[in-house]
Amino acid sequence: MKIGAFIPELLRHLFKKPATVDYPFQKLEVPRDFRGSPFLRPELCIVCRACERDCPAEAIEITATNEAEKRFRMVIHNDRCIHCAQCVDSCPTDAMQMDTRFEISDYDRHNLKMEWEYIRAVVKPKSEPKTS
Amino acid sequence: MKFQIPIGPQHPALKEPISLRMTVEGEIIRDADLRLGYNHRGLEKLAEQKTWIQNIYLTERICGICSHSHTTCYVQGVEKLMELEPPRRGLYIRTLVAELERVHSHLLWLGVAGHEAGFDSFFMYTWRDREIVMDILETISGNRVHYGINTIGGVRRDLDEQQVKHILDSLAILRQRSEYYQHLGTNEPSFVARLAGVGYLSREDAIALCAVGPTLRASGVPMDVRKDDPYAVYAEVPFEVCTADTCDVLGRTVVRIKELFQCYNIIEYLLKNLPSGPVAVRAPRRAKPNEVVSRYEAPRGENIHYIKSNGTDKPERLKVRAPTLGNYAATLKMLKNGFIADVPLIFAAIDPCICCAERAVSLVDARSGQEKIISMNALKQLSRQVAAGNARKREAEWPL
Repeated sequence: MKIGAFIPELLRHLFKKPATVDYPFQKLEVPRDFRGSPFLRPELCIVCRACERDCPAEAIEITATNEAEKRFRMVIHNDRCIHCAQCVDSCPTDAMQMDTRFEISDYDRHNLKMEWEYIRAVVKPKSEPKTS
Repeated sequence: MKFQIPIGPQHPALKEPISLRMTVEGEIIRDADLRLGYNHRGLEKLAEQKTWIQNIYLTERICGICSHSHTTCYVQGVEKLMELEPPRRGLYIRTLVAELERVHSHLLWLGVAGHEAGFDSFFMYTWRDREIVMDILETISGNRVHYGINTIGGVRRDLDEQQVKHILDSLAILRQRSEYYQHLGTNEPSFVARLAGVGYLSREDAIALCAVGPTLRASGVPMDVRKDDPYAVYAEVPFEVCTADTCDVLGRTVVRIKELFQCYNIIEYLLKNLPSGPVAVRAPRRAKPNEVVSRYEAPRGENIHYIKSNGTDKPERLKVRAPTLGNYAATLKMLKNGFIADVPLIFAAIDPCICCAERAVSLVDARSGQEKIISMNALKQLSRQVAAGNARKREAEWPL
């Protein structure tokens, strides 16, 4: 047995760069498929409500504002969102997408809410929803 | 002269709330008792109100460190209920993430062991190297902690050539670092002296008290669900079950370091033999009435999920047995006849995840120390009785 087997390693690290980054001034790049916050592309949404049904946190809310004009309103409660991206998987028309933001904290949870008001799209779904 | 010393529910030596009561004679623990229920989350009841898909993300949040183990265990059970056969590529990716998770969990544990043994530089170096495997998991799944890679009938994301290369490159660094830690673990005399002989659990006791995972294997019992009851693709992957004969905390450290190398071999094998094809099949929304028990070897030990379906899109019952619960009885045995100073080390050696193991609340009479479990109906009845006995004061005045 050798006394102080760790000392050479410790000394070597005196001359190495730190393992951490200088965060607020220098930011790490997020990976390509990073799961940030969900957002809607209203021109593609056919209001099938698959995202609303599958959301584990019940963070997506779709309401009809005008039935005759087929006008709908979607609210994403980002304060409840758990960033699992199940809505992206459930969406048959790729209308739900994830962005790459990670600095999303706020002083008020109501500011985290995102809203879209749009007319239902008549896009033919590319494929059947995965979880019909 | 005997004293009772409480440790917890809030104590600097514990990361999560649990209450340990030690009867001590001088410095030596003669008896130990355990009280649970400070962290109950009502998760099983919540699972009954969510659909099969939503429950994947719920079970993922049972544990932060072995999140993939809980989802895999749940998803395997649901796939059996729905009679689904996930594609082979999907199973390979699922197993790959499982092994990467084992690497990150064991590196984390090594750091914690170093910290509890008073070897904090070891803790910092292992946790720095753990970032490598966290980065791999982030590139595969899009997140560091809750990977969300599983879905019913396969996995959600595919691997491309670039990612495979990235994993293999990072693996070479990890392997080199782990070899160094193995060398260190056997050559640093103060570290070895602190761990050797602490928390003795004989082979017979380990079996009798139903210990699981590395705690059991460190007592010389070669038991591993991956070998004994292979799930996913473990039947075709070559690996060895690691054991140690020292039956103490040093043995548990050795088992985990040995398992790290097995993990690297498994990951390399999986990446080199990755079959092509789809990663998931379409799952139905409902499951026929049936029941299933699913087993999984989590980094901490055997994880069991019992799932019962009733023909709807929601489970009728989900029961989770986290590995930590299996190790509690053995921990009390290990604590007996040890020193008070060894409590954090022995307790950390089972890699406890208290939050995962909290399932029910037991009520203890403060005067007599009697424990009993009260059902929801009995609780309602009790509250009605108390309410009926109290005459309601309609125009009561504030006494001051």
